[in-house]
Amino acid sequence: METGIRSAAFQTFIEATSGIMNSELQAWKDGGGKVMGFFCTTVPEELFTAAGLAGFRMRGTGSTSTELSDACFSAINCSYPRHTMNQALEGHYDFLDGLVCINSCDHVRRVYDNWIRKLGTPFVKVMSLPRKVGQPQIDWYFDEINKLRKDIEAHFSVEITDESLRQAIRLHNEIRALQKQVYQFRLPDAPLMTGEETLAVMVAGTAIPKPRYKVLLEEFLKDMQSHKETHKGHRARVMIIGGELDDTEFIRVIEEQGALVVTDSTCYGSRLMWRPVDESYDDPVKAMANYYIYDRPSCPRMYGDQPRRIAYTRELAKEFRVDGVIGERLMFCDQWLVEHYMTNDDLKEDGIPFLAIDREYLLSGKGQLRTRVQAFLETIEGLRSEQS
Amino acid sequence: MVVAGVDIGSATGKAVIMIDGRIVGTSVLVSTAHPAKTAEIVMGQALEQAGLSSVDQLKHVVCTGYGRLNIPYAKENLSEISCHAKGAHWMVPSVRTVIDVGGQDCKVISLSPKGTVLEFKMNDRCAAGTGRFFEAMARALCCGLEGLSDPANQGDNPCAISNQCSVFAESEVVTLVNEGIELENIISGINVSVASRLTSMSRRVGIINDVVLTGGCSKNQGLIMALETKIKTKLIALPHDPQIAGALGAAIFAAERLEAETGNKCP
Amino acid sequence: MTIDMKAMKLKGVERYKQERDWFQMGLNACRFMPGEEFKLQAQLLEILLDSKQVVVDCVENDQPFIGGYFCNAPELFHAMNLPWFMLMETPFLAATAPYLLADIEGSEEMGLGTDLCTAIRLPIYYIEKGLMPIPTCVLGLLYPCDGAPMLHQVIEHNKAWKDVPIYCADPPYTSDERAIEYFAEELKRMTEFLEQHTGRTLDLERLKTVCEESNRTYTIWQDYNELRRHVPSPHGWEIGGAQAFAISQCFVAGDPKCTAWFEQLYRVGQMRIERGAGASEAEGWREKIRLFWFDIMPYGWIFEFMPWLESTFGAVIVMDMFGNFPYTLIDTTSEETIFHDLAKRNLIDSPMIRQARGTAENFSNDIRRIVEDYKIDVVIWPGHMGHKDGAATIGIMRDTCREIGVPFLHIGLDLFDKRYTSIDEVKEKVTDFFKGMGLA
Repeated sequence: METGIRSAAFQTFIEATSGIMNSELQAWKDGGGKVMGFFCTTVPEELFTAAGLAGFRMRGTGSTSTELSDACFSAINCSYPRHTMNQALEGHYDFLDGLVCINSCDHVRRVYDNWIRKLGTPFVKVMSLPRKVGQPQIDWYFDEINKLRKDIEAHFSVEITDESLRQAIRLHNEIRALQKQVYQFRLPDAPLMTGEETLAVMVAGTAIPKPRYKVLLEEFLKDMQSHKETHKGHRARVMIIGGELDDTEFIRVIEEQGALVVTDSTCYGSRLMWRPVDESYDDPVKAMANYYIYDRPSCPRMYGDQPRRIAYTRELAKEFRVDGVIGERLMFCDQWLVEHYMTNDDLKEDGIPFLAIDREYLLSGKGQLRTRVQAFLETIEGLRSEQS
Repeated sequence: MVVAGVDIGSATGKAVIMIDGRIVGTSVLVSTAHPAKTAEIVMGQALEQAGLSSVDQLKHVVCTGYGRLNIPYAKENLSEISCHAKGAHWMVPSVRTVIDVGGQDCKVISLSPKGTVLEFKMNDRCAAGTGRFFEAMARALCCGLEGLSDPANQGDNPCAISNQCSVFAESEVVTLVNEGIELENIISGINVSVASRLTSMSRRVGIINDVVLTGGCSKNQGLIMALETKIKTKLIALPHDPQIAGALGAAIFAAERLEAETGNKCP
Repeated sequence: MTIDMKAMKLKGVERYKQERDWFQMGLNACRFMPGEEFKLQAQLLEILLDSKQVVVDCVENDQPFIGGYFCNAPELFHAMNLPWFMLMETPFLAATAPYLLADIEGSEEMGLGTDLCTAIRLPIYYIEKGLMPIPTCVLGLLYPCDGAPMLHQVIEHNKAWKDVPIYCADPPYTSDERAIEYFAEELKRMTEFLEQHTGRTLDLERLKTVCEESNRTYTIWQDYNELRRHVPSPHGWEIGGAQAFAISQCFVAGDPKCTAWFEQLYRVGQMRIERGAGASEAEGWREKIRLFWFDIMPYGWIFEFMPWLESTFGAVIVMDMFGNFPYTLIDTTSEETIFHDLAKRNLIDSPMIRQARGTAENFSNDIRRIVEDYKIDVVIWPGHMGHKDGAATIGIMRDTCREIGVPFLHIGLDLFDKRYTSIDEVKEKVTDFFKGMGLA
């Protein structure tokens, strides 16, 4: 990644984003630390931190084919689990001490079924995530989290006390607050960071053990105090909405056309940290259940929550003075396809230009992506000059 | 004000030279494997037609198309969406919907009354509904592109070509020939199949009159007949070669940029 | 812009009436055809048409009716005398109707893509275009696949439906006692919702009666399925699974008409066995290959494919996904036991739900059991383009079949849209497979 940011911490973030294993995680493992892989943003990662484990969000970064995973999946399955599973079958995830899967979507939930039949990871669980955001669902998830807690305690011979959970929540909230500070760098008309650089900070946060990541994030923010280079002359301030977007190159191609990605609502983006876990609950598991089901902005799989999701998109679009919104989705994703269908209507009412882009997990068809983004920016400019 | 627009597609390269708002030179040729080479040759031919000797005489050049990046003489590049829209609007100021069928992609663009792009849809991921599809069909039927286009060859009972993939559609067409289906009905079936695909794309952005067809495949009269039937509206014929719409739009953008820089109004 | 709801409601039932008329034609044809099976089809169509007409009458006379699903415990709505229709029913019922392909194209033009399940795209299309009957309230579906919650979010988002209350029972991912109890509570909340919005109340005695009738229906269904274990199977694709499921879950549930139909089905099957006839009787071919078609029937092109399969290869669909409903009887002792068992049935037993909702065990367990019980020669996973979770279970199914020594064929098609994989291509794949396996 070409960047004008001079920061050793930031270089660590770039390293963590560009592969699966990274030097910080390796140091953790070398020091006897254990790693729990997990899929999806709704798995309560605080539980792993409280257990003394490092959480790792599963990615297929670095995969070049699905030769091995093609035996498990079909051509109509999403490329994200296919590549991630392929990396696992090639041995790149042998470092995991455990894996927690979840029924986030039809494609990713089957990673669990294939993983337990093909790979020898010692601890593999699947959580049951509700489809609604009401109190009965929060109560259900409360039980699910406690169930997972007991399983982790039994397998890893560790006690996860309420106090250790509170401390973990505090640590994660502190990280969220720091990440939110990073997002503020793109508030001004001449932002200090690009969307590509910001994504690197966020993805690294899912790959580096949390205590160390917090230290690095603080160092990064300190380094940014002396970073004066700003980004001007961009053609449009753009927001990206979508799901499993961990590829900084995708953002780079968009920004190379003259857009600046100033905010987002994605699975590696603002949804992870815009709101904190409410620490006022006596029971930290209740706090987590409320957070992951209700308080945090949801993804399209959550029925009945589209009004709040579009309100969130509108809130960020307004705050970051966005000129246009790009909705990305991985091919064969039913959830984001229909979500973008509804978002398109809603943003039309607001007069905000919207572009839906289908992509594969491995960035291909850069020429087609460039053309679409370029045309979108030209459309925004044309409408701007027509209105003026 | 001497400007040019160049559209480097994967199938063909096009160039348009304008002087003070008039088209003075155009060129269309089959693309080479190297976009820069195509750009050089097509510009050379257009310059000759315009009575100019060098690309240096052009005050501003805008490039578009798949090969638009890294063209040495181009000062700027713009998407083919904007350029096709601009070119079509210049030729037919009342246009609101542009359907472009190129060599390897097809697109539909919705314009405001002032010619601003409002929305667009593209298919550039497969050959269905593009020039490549027609080439494959013409090969399968040994009738040439003219044969597919000739109104006299459009049968009254177009057969359904169910395969959307051009590779499989070619096999399907061969099967139809072997079954003894009349050639005219196969030909009209091919045009109807492409028209259906274009209509589906068009409806996604909304079909508003006036509608024009651009791109090399717009010379296919059979396609025009089928498309007009599908979208239930007459396509407005373009006063210039529809294949140059993108390059023309690029040239107009070049003139507008120059005007904005120098303050000299382009007629 | 204000919406003229009266006009919308009347427009919304136009396509529905077209379907009803299409089936009336089918019924008229059936009545002239000889054979017991055609009588059964005719009875089924009469029941279907009755239930459709009731919905039309409700719209035209402004009476309460609901949109629901087969896995929302339809015994409950039947016990509350609530007419209902299935929001997703058109792709299944009218798949051979001439307007269906145009509707599918219409859904593509709306920007719903070509990789979203056709059975989800079509109801979204009808709702957005105002071609779906607008019910008093909707009992939506959040499982077994991603498409289902998305369809219901579009309903919520649609301005013409903004005053139509919707309740969706939340499906847990697990299948244990805790999951059943949770879902039972969801069904109770669903019942409260129905009472609140329709003015009807659930009478426990009536519910008991309906469930006991449902138990009778399913017991006979299980007995009928035993008949299909016979070699040759008394019936193939034409009668059995799909119809049995439709009549017991989609049109009437827990109704004596339903039980009577199954009794007749059983009698007819029994008679065939007694006279040594298989599905091929009077058709001029004999059963050679026993198939397990592990999906919904290809409604969009069934008549162009199934007869060919039988007559060309003697390949009989002895069991299909919807013919396999390992139903546990509802304990009608108390309200608690009823809700518990309804929850279990609708979460765990119901076809397609049982395989697709939770983890993948039922893909392999069902293959093992059905192959053994029904002496299956070939397992076909048709590979409908909407079954994304099933597509990700291909390896597991293949490995299971390899383990038990039965050939496995994955086709890849759209059950409703014959343009996705052409019928000729499907036939070619099946032919190559049977020949390659030495079955033909």
